[in-house]
Amino acid sequence: MKRQRSIKKCSNSTENSQVITIRSLNKSYGDFKALKNLSLEIKEGSVFGLLGVNGAGKTTLLSILNGLIDFDDGEVIVGGYDLKSQKKEVKSISSIIPQHLAFYEALSVRENLDFFASVQKSSKESLQKAIEINRLQELLSHKASTLSGGQKRRLNIAIGLLNDPKIIYFDEPTVGIDPRSRGEILDSIKSYRDMGITVVYTSHYMNEIEYICDEVAIIDKGRLIKQERLENLLSNKLSDSVLIESVADEKLAHLGLNLLERNLIQTDKSRLCDVLALLEKEKIYIKQIRYGASDLEHYFLEVTE
Amino acid sequence: MFGAMVKKEFLLVLRDKHALMALFVMPALFILIMSVALRDKFAQEHIAFDIVVIDKDNSAYSKALQEKLQKDGSFHLLKKPQNAQFVVTIPKDYYALMKKRVALKILVKASIKSDLLEIFKSKLLRNVVAIEVKEMDDEMKRLSLPQPAKKLSLDYKELFEISYEKSNSIPTSTQQSVPSWIVFGMFFVIIPMSTIFINERKQNTLTRLSSMNVSLISMVLSKIIPYIVINQIQVWIMLGVGIFIVPLFDTPALVINGSIGAIVLLSFALSISAIGLSTLLAVSASSAEQATTIGGILNILLGAIGGVMVPKFIMPQSMQTLSQISPMSWGLDGFLDIFMRSGDAAMVFGESAMLFLFGLITLIISMIILHIRINRGL
Repeated sequence: MKRQRSIKKCSNSTENSQVITIRSLNKSYGDFKALKNLSLEIKEGSVFGLLGVNGAGKTTLLSILNGLIDFDDGEVIVGGYDLKSQKKEVKSISSIIPQHLAFYEALSVRENLDFFASVQKSSKESLQKAIEINRLQELLSHKASTLSGGQKRRLNIAIGLLNDPKIIYFDEPTVGIDPRSRGEILDSIKSYRDMGITVVYTSHYMNEIEYICDEVAIIDKGRLIKQERLENLLSNKLSDSVLIESVADEKLAHLGLNLLERNLIQTDKSRLCDVLALLEKEKIYIKQIRYGASDLEHYFLEVTE
Repeated sequence: MFGAMVKKEFLLVLRDKHALMALFVMPALFILIMSVALRDKFAQEHIAFDIVVIDKDNSAYSKALQEKLQKDGSFHLLKKPQNAQFVVTIPKDYYALMKKRVALKILVKASIKSDLLEIFKSKLLRNVVAIEVKEMDDEMKRLSLPQPAKKLSLDYKELFEISYEKSNSIPTSTQQSVPSWIVFGMFFVIIPMSTIFINERKQNTLTRLSSMNVSLISMVLSKIIPYIVINQIQVWIMLGVGIFIVPLFDTPALVINGSIGAIVLLSFALSISAIGLSTLLAVSASSAEQATTIGGILNILLGAIGGVMVPKFIMPQSMQTLSQISPMSWGLDGFLDIFMRSGDAAMVFGESAMLFLFGLITLIISMIILHIRINRGL
């Protein structure tokens, strides 16, 4: 049976399509100020990237938004509920996918899913949906400890979907997995947006953020540095730079090109024809070319200390 | 929700083979080994010494002495001195020179303690004196002297009627071993419980559960029930070992003189106590390795102080007083009350209440620590 959700929402709920509103949020651990007067708004149904170096305050913010830790002062409205007074309701509409694999290795996939579903009184439909979205049907009888890294990640995500969340927080969900599994996970996250779920995503992989996020916020030392739609953020940094994404090929490393990643080449407009000719000569196929845009990583490094 | 939490905990413990070995096989083996090993040490009615008699006198008197020792039941007469505790040499012309009192020579094995030597001397003296009395008796008959009206006896059973005061009775090796290793085994839940708990903390499953509106109390309570059940199974298996398996090794079976209700009450209180301590360690330790090491050491220390390793009645008074700080000692006293003093629930209420209180306090402290840890992101 589906959980009964409280109907006592705050007056300033989702009228302006903000599913999360944070105003003047402060959080300290002893003398250390983890979050300083942070204000942020996240639109309903968007994929929102949260960027910051280690220790910037991302995990603290996610923990606060999930009701796991208390905050000192400020106001946080999640899904129309005031976090301070309606923590239980906030928890019931949101879900966190932790970076660490938070399930029981000694239990089977089915036992893990059944356990977390029972704990949240999830419906059978939600359970089935989580299994299907994460393609776990064939793995249900397998012991969790015997799964591959990618399969474990999928189980970790499936558990987070069991309560039919309106908001899902992904805390670096692709750490340590192979490129194929990574691509599958990113595609599945995009599909949550199509289902109307708001996704808050943290990662150190800037290309992932560029690939899936509509909007990003950069946090540094507990402060919000920038919140902007991704295309605006990158177009602000218009330059002569061109990014060429090719298929992965070992030859790339030996061509003397400026590689940002294994298959991401940066060049400027004046050299574009030469680079394309070189790639054609080496029979390295091109996936996409982006003109006039800087990559997010460079922007991020510029604005953070 | 709560049922799912309990079921999960059961599955995790039952799939941990090492934990099951520590919880069930180890205490059962300890009961068996210690009951058999300490069998003679705890036997109060009968102490038999392994001796070798070297007869250099070779007289009728020396032969009569050997025959007497053989029949006494307190001596095993061996042929070779290697395994003997005492070597008794009857010197040449012992009988002939008896009026001058030539001493029997006794060689004592180095490991024999003075109290055992005293018992040996007293038993040997009884036999020597018995022969001399018979000799005197025969002499008086031969000289047709009047016999004393009262018959002279050196038989303990004729001379003394020994009975134990109930509260001071000393257990058999089985009665001592079974409760000792039941209590020790029950406290061994500290290892699997803390390991599972710490893994849940480290792998963020506790955080995840917390984000799913699972309360702290539910998290802790769901761990208590499976371990209470496991502890109860331990108790009845260990009792079974004491009653049915130990006698197969020529060792006294466990006799339960008290009530079953008292066993249930005491073992329940012991469970709460052991689980409280385990939870406290689980929330305090920073890694599973740390919890396993500290848990193991803590268990052994509490056992040593509490009379599990060395029975309390042979400890010096100061150690007996110190032993009262160990919850294992309270549990052990309770079981001995039940097994030996026909204890009922009322008799073990004091020990049970102390154990329950200890468990409750440690559980409350654990929940406070866990709350702080979760609020700090574990």
